[in-house]
Amino acid sequence: MADRQTLGSTARIARHPIHPMLVPFPIACFVGALATDIAYAMTAQMMWSDFSAWLLVAGLIMGILAAIAGLIDFLGNPEIRAQTPAWPHLLGNATVLVLSFFNALVHTRDAWASVVPTGLILSVIVVLILPVTGWLGWSMVYRHGVGVDP
Amino acid sequence: MRFQWLSMAHTMRVPRVLAFIALASCLAACDDGGGDPNAQIGPHPTLPEPTQYLLPPLHIARIVGWQKGETPSVAQGLKIQALATGLEHPRSLYVLPNGDVLVVESKSPAVQPIRRPKDIVMGWVESLSTSGGSNQETNRITLLRDTHGDGVPDVRSVFLDHLNSPFGVALVGNDLYVANTDAIVRYPYNSGDTKISAPGTTLAPLPGGPIDHHWTKSLVANPDGSSLYVGVGSNSNITENGMEAEKNRAAILEVDRATGRWRVFASGLRNPNGLSFEPQSGALWAVINERDELGPDLVPDYLTSVKDGGFYGWPYSYYGQHVDPRVKPERPDLVAKAIVPDYALSSHVAPLGLAFYTADNLPDTYRGGAFVGEHGSWNRSTLNGYKVIFVPFKDGQPSGMAQDVVTGFLNSDNQARGRPVGLAVDKSGALLIADDVGNTVWRVTSAVR
Repeated sequence: MADRQTLGSTARIARHPIHPMLVPFPIACFVGALATDIAYAMTAQMMWSDFSAWLLVAGLIMGILAAIAGLIDFLGNPEIRAQTPAWPHLLGNATVLVLSFFNALVHTRDAWASVVPTGLILSVIVVLILPVTGWLGWSMVYRHGVGVDP
Repeated sequence: MRFQWLSMAHTMRVPRVLAFIALASCLAACDDGGGDPNAQIGPHPTLPEPTQYLLPPLHIARIVGWQKGETPSVAQGLKIQALATGLEHPRSLYVLPNGDVLVVESKSPAVQPIRRPKDIVMGWVESLSTSGGSNQETNRITLLRDTHGDGVPDVRSVFLDHLNSPFGVALVGNDLYVANTDAIVRYPYNSGDTKISAPGTTLAPLPGGPIDHHWTKSLVANPDGSSLYVGVGSNSNITENGMEAEKNRAAILEVDRATGRWRVFASGLRNPNGLSFEPQSGALWAVINERDELGPDLVPDYLTSVKDGGFYGWPYSYYGQHVDPRVKPERPDLVAKAIVPDYALSSHVAPLGLAFYTADNLPDTYRGGAFVGEHGSWNRSTLNGYKVIFVPFKDGQPSGMAQDVVTGFLNSDNQARGRPVGLAVDKSGALLIADDVGNTVWRVTSAVR
């Protein structure tokens, strides 16, 4: 295991890594989109589908920003890249963003087809991936000490 | 699909990255450019299975306008010239008994609420396809008078101004009715007037904002003048703004002229326009814009007689009992009684004008039939519409294949020089066409006279 001194973050403000500040946004948005998708599927009230569409777009924007900060850390420090959870964390979250992009397109369909079934299925898959990639990310910080100030 | 997106990037100059996103995302649901539109013209259109898209086909002709000396092309035996140019988004026409022509210049209601991210994108797309975005004066009616009958108006005046997205006009006696997007308003008119300055009186409110998706309110008076019929389009493509927004919409309303009381005359008509009485049977007819985003060949727009109390399917089904999977909760009871329309015009042509021809200026073949103004498609990679067609009638029903009468609104590069909307027949028997992109009123006459 690498020493904490060598696992510093590259994308940071006043020695605070940016990536962990941004990741809550896409997580909350994509989980929220699943909740509003379920609400739509149960009620057929378009308001819920509209909420999902906004949550997906907001989650994508913030998720892309989080991905940029994370990629800078990943590419900026070979010691971070060498951590066991790093690659699965990156690939898992890239999958989340790609699926959510397609999910946002599905949500541009009109009325029932905007959610059921494809949109709802994509939302479920994304929310199932998030705890796994989150766990891997937390491992890197809390166990390996990535980005932790020495 | 690949070709269609590249062609869209070319004609609309969409940023290349968007085109690539579109290419990547069409993998799941690619389509061809659509079949032969002629297979969908007539009483029995072929209907393919519906398709769901990640990105619907999107191809709007880029606007170039008419160069000096350019005109649309006309069928043999006809000639065409501009009756008036330099108008501001002319959308419909009405001919007064003394021969004066009213040109309704109108643009969509200012601000549509943004309910989801798609509305922002679609608003941008629509702004590319219309010339109505300018800040010139519009939402008015311009009067044209051709004293000498030579096709060159010698009087042009602002007849009515400061209207609210007007479309339909009807005159009964000395009462002139204008269908704004939110109300039918009555004005006093005397033969020969070139301007009305008296304030209007509201006869009946109509479903307008805050959401006002299909905003054109087509208007016609019945032959005895007792009732007005007004077309009220749906407030969405297919209920995506919620069912509450569709109250009294996708319908033709019958308004009692004496009292302003109204009722739903017929429903399930997604966006009815061109309301007209067929001369032989006396039945009410209209052209209907059907739903989008089910594929290049769904759903055909149509020309139909409108029965009292009839239900024509929207939103639950199309062409009778073809259920639209996007509408919940379902209504099998309504689907069961949905009427199959009379005559399909093919998909996405966007018919907005209808005029039955009973005059005798044009060649005899046109007598008794109907002209239809097709504004043109957006939801189809191969453009469709963008022309005026003629549907022959016999015994009060369409008989035979539609013919192209006025074409050339697109140039050879599929760019829009103009787009036809409302139609009318003037006192001399010439066909008038409102062109809201070319900002022109065209006049079609017989070539020999």
